[in-house]
Amino acid sequence: MIRAFKVEKFHTKIVEKSTLFKVLKYLNKKNIRTPLLLIDKEKIIEKISMIGKNISNSKVFYAVKANSDIRIAKLIDRLGLGFEIASEGELNLLSSIGVDSKKIISSNPVKSDGFLKMARSYGVNYFSFDSIDEVDKLARLVPHCNVYVRVSVPNEGSEWPLNKKFGAEVNDSVSLLSYANDRGLNPVGITFHVGSQCTNIYSWNTALDKAKALWDLAEKEKIKLGVLNIGGGYPINYTKNVVKVEAIEKNINNLIYEKFPENIKIFIEPGRAVVGDAGIFVSSVIGRARRADENWLYIDIGVFNGLMESVGGIKYSYLVESLKGIRHKKKWNLAGPSCDSFDIIDKGLMLPEPEVGNLVLIFSSGAYTTSYASEFNGFPIPKTILI
Amino acid sequence: MTKKFTETAPFVPIEYSYEIEKILYKGQSKFQKIMVFENPYFGRMLILDGIVQLSERDEFFYHEMLTHVVMHAHPNPQKVVVIGGGDGGTVREVLKHKTVKNVYFVEIDKKVTDIARKFFPTVACSVKNPRVQTVNMDGADFVKKRPSDIDVVIVDSTDPIGFARSLFTRKFFTSIKNCLTDNGMFVIHSESLLLHKDIVIEVQETLKKVFPKVDLYTAPIATYPGNWWTFSVASKKPDPRQMKRKFNIKTKYYSDEIHHYAFLPKGLYKKLMQRKLKW
Repeated sequence: MIRAFKVEKFHTKIVEKSTLFKVLKYLNKKNIRTPLLLIDKEKIIEKISMIGKNISNSKVFYAVKANSDIRIAKLIDRLGLGFEIASEGELNLLSSIGVDSKKIISSNPVKSDGFLKMARSYGVNYFSFDSIDEVDKLARLVPHCNVYVRVSVPNEGSEWPLNKKFGAEVNDSVSLLSYANDRGLNPVGITFHVGSQCTNIYSWNTALDKAKALWDLAEKEKIKLGVLNIGGGYPINYTKNVVKVEAIEKNINNLIYEKFPENIKIFIEPGRAVVGDAGIFVSSVIGRARRADENWLYIDIGVFNGLMESVGGIKYSYLVESLKGIRHKKKWNLAGPSCDSFDIIDKGLMLPEPEVGNLVLIFSSGAYTTSYASEFNGFPIPKTILI
Repeated sequence: MTKKFTETAPFVPIEYSYEIEKILYKGQSKFQKIMVFENPYFGRMLILDGIVQLSERDEFFYHEMLTHVVMHAHPNPQKVVVIGGGDGGTVREVLKHKTVKNVYFVEIDKKVTDIARKFFPTVACSVKNPRVQTVNMDGADFVKKRPSDIDVVIVDSTDPIGFARSLFTRKFFTSIKNCLTDNGMFVIHSESLLLHKDIVIEVQETLKKVFPKVDLYTAPIATYPGNWWTFSVASKKPDPRQMKRKFNIKTKYYSDEIHHYAFLPKGLYKKLMQRKLKW
């Protein structure tokens, strides 16, 4: 079956030809049952080969929350990466595939008792914190564990900021490190997060300045640190070309070389950058309507079962199956399948006109999509298929 | 100002521009946009959906190399299927082989052949030969229904992410294998080794799931972006690298020597397939 997809120049900036080739080949199958999330394995392998490559003495820990599919976790484990987790569910996943506890860290600054108990018995030994309560909790449940303090840094360059919820100020961070030391924990380092999908390369400069200030203050307090965990934030292409991981890492590496001791260990925690652009959602048009001079397009993936990030401002690129072709584009409001009026993905998108039953592909949807999804209103979470 | 045609090939980091001396045809078939124009260097050029398919001046590189490698690696090719290649260039090359009794010329878009006969008589010269049976249908459907009586299948399609993509699937490759005789062979172009080696690997890997012998050779093509063009060849038995028959046809580029040197050196091929080539 030949589907009427017309690839345009702008698509080629978002998705690679080989990925699209595999996806379109897959969609030639007669009985495609949407919604689906197709993941190009080779793309994940390629991305992993690039991350951490330009930062000396670095270790990469995949942020499982980005996509917790078990086959993806296995692939990443086989490729030698570590994992960053936050919950019992994520640890269960890793233990089910036998991931070595030495390859697991947890950077959620606030963790549950249940998770910490389980993490201790599994042998996880690196945790972040940014509060007194968390130090007490760690001292009680995982005595003597290695800890790194989460320092707050500006998140201006990020499309998905995180800095209000987490991170202590520099002065508080020093006190927290001292307190952790007093409580018998092993304060090993500092972590920060510039915010997810950070497209401003200079965000890392500000963050590393803050980390350096904290590092020096800690040293004055006789706390010898050795680990700098630079979190995640590496961006991917959604609707335009963003700064490349290579450029970001070269900048970070130079800054670290200038500011920090030579033998410092660097942890990196990418999620989006590993799986995001390896994924393509395949949805079906389930309805069209015209009201108040606006065109509405309803597809079987919406805000609740996969495209939650659209609500926070992430914009996607689309490839629409259309017999009318690309000369007949219209402005569309794109909505999900549920009855909720919150279930609107985007407004005013210029797209070719599909018919009910045609497919709509959504690029760069491998991260923070199915892992966010619920079956609200009975609509299924897209099935993940590795191609 | 001279008028120019700029190719809008998606996924190509280079834009190819050609001077237009004169537009000879511009229209739309049921499947694609078709254009023919005259260029001072390349002569007449055929454009489908904004992508250059052939030029009078250099079409022989592609047509000879697509056709004659399998035709010489097969001990006795009598029944040949050409899928696509509406311009007739591949059919012309196939008919140079005396062993050939029947050519099934399966082109989905009749309009391309009509245009080629009118504007590219030296390319489309053989499509009305009595040994040729023309069928205007989807190549994937044609091979599905064939008994196992075909010696060679040649796919001469447009871009694999265009509407020709059904000709690059495992299902299609399986139908081809099923319609081939025990010595049957198959060849399909598989993109530029410079620009799209991931697609080359993907096509090779898909073929390997279906055929016992799969190999890769290349040819230089000035008008296809990436230029270093690959051809994926699959076989049920004969080794594609070995010529089974003597070279005694008239060609401009292909020869017994070229047959030998066109294949990727084995070390390079191995590196490619292990994804160790980084460029």
